[in-house]
Amino acid sequence: MAKTGSETIGAAGEKGKMTLFKDDRAEDIGAIILSVIVVAIIIILTMK
Amino acid sequence: MNGDVGFFRKLPSALPGLALIIVTMVVIRFWVEPWMTSAVVFGTKGWLVKVTHLNYILLGIICGMLYRNVLFGGRMPDVLSDGFKLSRLMIKTGIILLGSLYTFNAIVQLGSMAIFLIGGFVVLTIILVLWLGTAFGLDRSMIGVMANALSICGVSAAVATSPAVEAKASHVAYAIATILGFGIVTMFISPFIGHALGLTDLQYGAWIGTGILNSGQVLAAALAFNPNVAPGTAVSVAEIWNIMRVISIPFAVFAVTVWYWSGKTEEAEGGKRKGLGTLLVEKFPVFVIGFLVMVFLTSMGAFGDVGLKNGPPASETIKMMRVWMTWIFGFGLVGLGGYIDIKELKQAGGAPLKLGLIVGVTKYVLALLVVFAIKDYLVAI
Repeated sequence: MAKTGSETIGAAGEKGKMTLFKDDRAEDIGAIILSVIVVAIIIILTMK
Repeated sequence: MNGDVGFFRKLPSALPGLALIIVTMVVIRFWVEPWMTSAVVFGTKGWLVKVTHLNYILLGIICGMLYRNVLFGGRMPDVLSDGFKLSRLMIKTGIILLGSLYTFNAIVQLGSMAIFLIGGFVVLTIILVLWLGTAFGLDRSMIGVMANALSICGVSAAVATSPAVEAKASHVAYAIATILGFGIVTMFISPFIGHALGLTDLQYGAWIGTGILNSGQVLAAALAFNPNVAPGTAVSVAEIWNIMRVISIPFAVFAVTVWYWSGKTEEAEGGKRKGLGTLLVEKFPVFVIGFLVMVFLTSMGAFGDVGLKNGPPASETIKMMRVWMTWIFGFGLVGLGGYIDIKELKQAGGAPLKLGLIVGVTKYVLALLVVFAIKDYLVAI
């Protein structure tokens, strides 16, 4: 089976991927890391 | 970790597309929305907002669609495409941050009725798709992928199920095109139906969290109904219902895998079987864990008061988090619009489309009727 890689619409290859990451799992981890960064910035900005 | 290295190497090439997404949302929120609110159309101030219910979410998606399908003739130019590939990263980040709207105590209060309803819809949808798909003579792999795509959260479930049922890439693409095509229609009509029926945020959120197939479209439809992000708003209700549906992915993959392999002929016995445990570990969307960690931290009071009804007001940290969330979702949904290709949706023709439409419409209408029937038992959190 061709590697689907990601939430691809109509294409399974690199061109059709809906993510810059290698797959959904890497993107999920990227989202978690980005969330941590966002939360850290917000906490710093709202510190009294 | 080649993929991660690849991500950072590709990041500079994403800047033009990202800049277009950000500029689009800034223009919409700072100029277009205020203008729509104050503009006098047909003698009524704010007609565009009051009657069409257009807000920054719908406008963002429409702009993304216009870029791709009108301005660029059906295909994002290479210089912009990498930036638009960050859209799901933003949507997933926003959903993780959305965990700050909930506490475990509140989720428990969601009640057995909601859990029963969500589980019931997942199980009944799988049964309906397996039965109809067999009746239509579809390939077993196609049926398996469609069963979970239509019963849970669309795209993630289709991808998660595909290795377990030996689906080809074309099966997955077909299922995704079908559910996204149906989802686009429901995403745009649901806010109008919700307002026309006078649904509350609670009723509307429960309906679309059950009836719309794709997670991104549930989010868009919820914010289109009520763009506010706070406990008790449509997005708050819809996402917790949707997340509970997403959590059922491992169980649904297990059920469909058992169905698929139990129907295999003896000649396939020598074929390569997928280890279910490995499959679930590989395919479970781990950003849901990020959401649950966020709920845990919020429950522990890590960010201060949440601002629940009849409680103390939300802390400054929580307030700022909600403002940032609306921007992150806005950016993500402009990008999502850029992935809606009218031509690609035509791929979803034939029997799988018929199956998708029958099951999708049944689920969408049934969810609305059930929400009306149990409206007195729905619990706001």
